[in-house]
Amino acid sequence: MIKTFFGAGTLETSGAFLATLIIGVLFGVALEQAGFGSSRKLTGVFYFEDMAVIKVMFSALITAMLGLAYFQAAGLIGPYELYFMPTVYGAQIIGGLIFGVGFVMGGWCPGTAAVGLASGKLDALVFFGGAVLGSIGFNELFPVIQPLYTWGSQGVVFIYQTLNLSLGSFALIFTLVAVACFWGVEFLERRRGKVAAEGRSKFLTSFSVGLVVLALGLTLFSGTPAPSAGRPAGEAELIAQVEGGRDHMDPEELADRLMRGEPNLLVVDIRPANEYQVFHIRGARNIPLSQLAGELAPHKNRGLIVLYSNGMTHPAQARDSLSRQGYGNVYLLTDGLQGFMERCLKPVSLRSEPLTPEAAARVRAWRAYFSPAAATPANAAGAVATPRPDELPQSLPGLVEPDWLPRHLGQPWLKVIDLRGQPEYNSGHIPGAVLMSVEGFRGLVRGVPSMLLPAPMLASQFSLLGIHPTDLVVFVTGEKLYDGTLVGMACERLGHSRYAVLQGGMAGWLWGKRPVDTLLPAVTPSRYPESSADNFTVDYRRVLNAMQDKKTVIIDVRPADYHTGKKSDEARAGHIPGTVNRPFSEDVVKTDQEVRFKPVSELAGAYEKIIPTRETPVIVHCRTGHQASQTFFVLKRLLGYKNVYYYDAGWTEWAARPELPVAPMVNK
Amino acid sequence: MNSNNYMNPYLAGIFLGLVLLASFLILGAGLGASGGLARLGAALEAALAPQHTQASAYFGPWGPNYLSYYLVFMLLGAFLGGLVSAVISKRLHLTVERGQTCSVKQRVIYALTGGILVGFASRLAQGCTSGQALTGGAMLLSGSLAFMVCLFASGYAAAKFFRGQWHD
Repeated sequence: MIKTFFGAGTLETSGAFLATLIIGVLFGVALEQAGFGSSRKLTGVFYFEDMAVIKVMFSALITAMLGLAYFQAAGLIGPYELYFMPTVYGAQIIGGLIFGVGFVMGGWCPGTAAVGLASGKLDALVFFGGAVLGSIGFNELFPVIQPLYTWGSQGVVFIYQTLNLSLGSFALIFTLVAVACFWGVEFLERRRGKVAAEGRSKFLTSFSVGLVVLALGLTLFSGTPAPSAGRPAGEAELIAQVEGGRDHMDPEELADRLMRGEPNLLVVDIRPANEYQVFHIRGARNIPLSQLAGELAPHKNRGLIVLYSNGMTHPAQARDSLSRQGYGNVYLLTDGLQGFMERCLKPVSLRSEPLTPEAAARVRAWRAYFSPAAATPANAAGAVATPRPDELPQSLPGLVEPDWLPRHLGQPWLKVIDLRGQPEYNSGHIPGAVLMSVEGFRGLVRGVPSMLLPAPMLASQFSLLGIHPTDLVVFVTGEKLYDGTLVGMACERLGHSRYAVLQGGMAGWLWGKRPVDTLLPAVTPSRYPESSADNFTVDYRRVLNAMQDKKTVIIDVRPADYHTGKKSDEARAGHIPGTVNRPFSEDVVKTDQEVRFKPVSELAGAYEKIIPTRETPVIVHCRTGHQASQTFFVLKRLLGYKNVYYYDAGWTEWAARPELPVAPMVNK
Repeated sequence: MNSNNYMNPYLAGIFLGLVLLASFLILGAGLGASGGLARLGAALEAALAPQHTQASAYFGPWGPNYLSYYLVFMLLGAFLGGLVSAVISKRLHLTVERGQTCSVKQRVIYALTGGILVGFASRLAQGCTSGQALTGGAMLLSGSLAFMVCLFASGYAAAKFFRGQWHD
């Protein structure tokens, strides 16, 4: 999978700036070589004198369209890696009409003017200055023309959706139209005798055939279901996958996925049971070879199955056999268990190659997670105590009942964090609990206030709290259960899956006449790994993309009056167009004693009405990310929704960015 | 001036298309020129009236580092690439490009007015020929294609009024 700067949210870093500069240089070379450093040549298209603009622009458009479509069809680049501009029909139609006049009048467009200026054209310099002035004029007039700017806003819409066609067939039609245009303009030019065109037609023939073949290929390629659709993999396909290494998963990747607690991942140890009992990769299931087909049936083409043994031979045979039975989701652990031990669990001090500090931190995190017996160098005084699996609550991350806690208080692997605040904590807290404020996990990030802090800062807070990656962390709250889930988001970002929120908060604890104390517990700082497992936080661009892709459900969890815009204490009133309002407070219930999460069955029923399937992408947001953390927790951790995303910056950011659309539209 | 030593337009188009594809795969966003231009406008306005710009509804959220934006670097790159290419192909000449019967003054007025319209329209449509028509067109976005159709339609409709500047 290709990772882009946009997808990683790093488009505004110096690395991206350098990459952009290089792409810009090539962009400039392409325009100049095409002859677009001349306004006479550019405007020639409007007088049928010189049709180079049509030829260059459509060749480029079709080339990039086909290239991108192939990458997408091959699954090499995901939709969230790309910035798709929203469609705003009114603004774009009127903008296009004004632009056309400016183009033919001035003789340039912005990109070509830069190249014209580089070619010494003083009229390009004047045009450039004019365009800067025009931009400033737009800014000055913006308050007046804002309704036009958002008029006809549709979110991200693709033309083939609008026309109800498949991507492949539209691309083919578009390619044919472009090829017809090429022949048409060549004919036109030859008739006018303006441009010598001899020798071109042979080239044009091969070029046209090439484009059409590629477009046809795309129709076939994107029309073929992927192996994961449940079809038995063909032998040739199988061989191609094996040769391409696409059936392998590297140990590092497996380790990270396991530590993140990915719900769709099934790791299968196919060695004999006695070997499994001596050591196995944490989280792996033991299924002997003979029972593989039967045991794996429920997982056929659902999620990922990773097979491993000591070496590679047995899993490879098993994998081939499963593939012939139609499994398209079986992977092998590269180099087997031996590779896993060597590449993930070998202590930093025993490695011959030097490791960067980040790589060393990753190794320590893996060792802490996968080899509990190994003392990490950071804790040379002794091994970190780890819980036995049967000592932990049933499902983590999740809720823990007040009754569960007393039996385990005092265990070194249990960290109870009280989030209520000073006077309450001081006057009586759960024995052994330490006090921490939720605000210790939030701050200003990229100009947006109250954002969850970056992983290294969260890790340093966790270190001060003495938390180890294998510890169970339980959050104790007052009536604001979402304090617990907000710090839960910090756990999520660090990939710490052993966390739970105390059901009913401190009130529930006290109601049962359970022990409290006023002592300050002793805390030995740990060294928590700084790596981020955050693949769920999204920025406004992704929300904008998701806004009308008709696949993503965006839930605004703020109180209804804020959603409708009746109440507002932000830059603008209202909500992100297309969002569903499900206030966070609907997920909890206040009883005589306490505020507690509603029963899972009741929550499941409520969200089934909002979200079509467990796989549907969902984005949750509120004003600052605080209340939305609760809905995130409910959906992902209590109800098992697979693709939940967190728009942390929320309404604070959205409302303050005037270019982003807001519903309901209020004309000032 | 020799117009025959330009690259074969189809090859130039393939080259440009591959640059755009690289931009998609590396940056996750396509090519763009007017975004960088608008940032220059914002920085200029901020230099003259910092508080006013900071408080303005459109440029304001871009501040205070108005130029710290990837498309500024793309515009700079396009200029540098154009310069290198023009020098190598011996096409760097200081001129005001116009027809022989057109005065410098008239050409400059047209270029300035056209520039203002294009600068304004690019902000309204959130992109120009590069960022909307080419990039959005290759992504098959409905609005970008509508922009492109309208651009050519109005360009052809208005063309005859501005033809005089190219008469020899």
